[in-house]
Amino acid sequence: MRRLVLVLATTVLLVTACALPQQREEETLGKIAATPQEIETVFARYEVVRDTAARLLSPNPLSIIQTEAVLDIETGSFEVAQRLAANDPEQDDPIDVQRTYTPRFGSYPLWFVAVVRDEGREVTRVQVFERAAAADPWLLISTPETVLDAELPELRERDGAVVRVAPDDEAGTGVSAQQAADDYAALLADAEAEVDTTFAADGFVDQVRAATEQNRALEGVGFEQTWESQEVRHAVRTSDGGTLAFVDLSREDTYDVPDDVTVTWPEDSPQRAFIPEGLSTTGTLLYRHQVLMLIPVGDEPVRVIGQFGGVVGAEGF
Amino acid sequence: MRGLGWFLAALGVLLLTLGASAAVVLGPDSRFTTGPHPIETSGTVVVTQPGVISWRGLQVDVLAEVPANKPVFVGLGNSVDVADYVSETERVEVSSFERPWELTTDTVDGQPGLPGAPTALDWWIAGSAGLGGSSISVTLPDETTSLAVVAVGATNLSGLEVTLAYGPRGGFATALGVALLGAGVLLAGVVLLRGGRVTAETPDDELEVVEEIVYVVVEDDGTEREISAEEAQALGLVEDLTTDDDEVTGADPMPDDPTIDDLTPGDTADGQDVAAPAETPVADAPERPTHDSARADADPSPVPVEEDVVYVVVDEDGVEHEISADELDAYDLDEYELVDDDEEDSR
Repeated sequence: MRRLVLVLATTVLLVTACALPQQREEETLGKIAATPQEIETVFARYEVVRDTAARLLSPNPLSIIQTEAVLDIETGSFEVAQRLAANDPEQDDPIDVQRTYTPRFGSYPLWFVAVVRDEGREVTRVQVFERAAAADPWLLISTPETVLDAELPELRERDGAVVRVAPDDEAGTGVSAQQAADDYAALLADAEAEVDTTFAADGFVDQVRAATEQNRALEGVGFEQTWESQEVRHAVRTSDGGTLAFVDLSREDTYDVPDDVTVTWPEDSPQRAFIPEGLSTTGTLLYRHQVLMLIPVGDEPVRVIGQFGGVVGAEGF
Repeated sequence: MRGLGWFLAALGVLLLTLGASAAVVLGPDSRFTTGPHPIETSGTVVVTQPGVISWRGLQVDVLAEVPANKPVFVGLGNSVDVADYVSETERVEVSSFERPWELTTDTVDGQPGLPGAPTALDWWIAGSAGLGGSSISVTLPDETTSLAVVAVGATNLSGLEVTLAYGPRGGFATALGVALLGAGVLLAGVVLLRGGRVTAETPDDELEVVEEIVYVVVEDDGTEREISAEEAQALGLVEDLTTDDDEVTGADPMPDDPTIDDLTPGDTADGQDVAAPAETPVADAPERPTHDSARADADPSPVPVEEDVVYVVVDEDGVEHEISADELDAYDLDEYELVDDDEEDSR
């Protein structure tokens, strides 16, 4: 009886005390980038605008849902579609948001990661949405498509938020995200370089090198290709201590064509859309690429498990 | 058990005191209210710095008023959002706040305008805009928050006055609940201290039973009418209105005054059926079959009185029809049932 009364009294007091206002112990600035409801709203708005752009076959609406490299690449693809008079079926496919990861921030910009499935094109994308300032909207800033055999790693979470990794943080991995991005750009730029132990065998590198080989085989045409890595701003910690980094790369293909030669591209190629008549003097094609880079713990080689890119502009005639 | 009793009594007194005190201090609206207080500024933003709002779970009402029906917005948001939103704007920052109303403010230089309308932002935890004034009512979340008062459009906040109310949500009801709980615990403690018995404070011999005599006349059409004692006396039903206290109080619940059995039609000069004085309530009518079931030694079987019998026939539709004794012969009754409302007769 005595115990029962004590337990009841203690319970009542505890319940009452919990309902009372309390002074917060932690006063550090911080917030989860976006709640699930906010993310849902972001994607709903994204789909509406994207579908509108697809219906209009105009990239203009995209600027209110995309930015930087993604906007450049998507705008390029719209221009290609316009010039080739073809609809881009990619824009009409519904998006299935499979998983979201939201880091915690003490200041802007805020961003979150979403794994989405495009059933129409049967691809999985790992996207980053960023809000640069409190008065700005959420914009898609990175959207690499995972390669077929890639398995996305589990991400490390702490207090309900995914753990971010500073671009120069090489703790546990031996190489920072920024250093890996720079090394990868160098690897792509040097067609003669051997893929060393830093990077695992990579289909994207093979594809780029094959194209470079073709261009260099053009008789009498001077060809030069440069790659440059951008500042890495989005990287998260995997559950095993590795790093998943979103890397932006820019590429320039420069052609020096002799007088009696014209370089043309296939009818339905993006390059043809930008330079329909072909190059007969000099010209440059501008590309933007995004790669999803998995930097494992220890001495394991870095793997590129996703890629997205395209022609964003051209100069010359 | 006495030890537990003392413990419960002490706990009960404590809870009762705490609950009652809190209820008195908070008042029915569960709020402390202060203001309106003027805030000197000619800019467009007044904002609290991170850390100034240091409570969670507290219900806060903020009313911001500006003269001349100027549009104004008041909102509470995570400090990360609010700080970034106003970072480039000239503003007054509240760097400390002491209850009930003591502010320390800093003026921060910046651009005159904000990067966007506050009403267009989706991250406010609570926000509201209005002309001449605006208010929010919000429970402080468990995160670092800042309060912002923002002039909307091309206006400023000159003449701003702020009224603040705060308190625990449902605090008054909770306090009352604690007080009631304390009273209950105190009572339980007292019961235990008295050996677990609850006894009436008034002895049996002091119990007083008050009876009221109601006189009811049943008219020819069967309706009942309550009459006064004088009217009953005039009708010859009661000889003396003076009653013996012993007859209306105490031990004998069934006095030997005229009972229902004693009443028959024709007792009165005007031919009205009159019921004798009955203990309240009186719902009986002399037409009904009656018996003195109220007596402890009474015969439980009904004693029909021919004149008071009411014959009721239930037709095949289940509808009851009252018929006279003469009409009864017209029915070939194979089955019949004697019905007597004992409960009413016993009163």
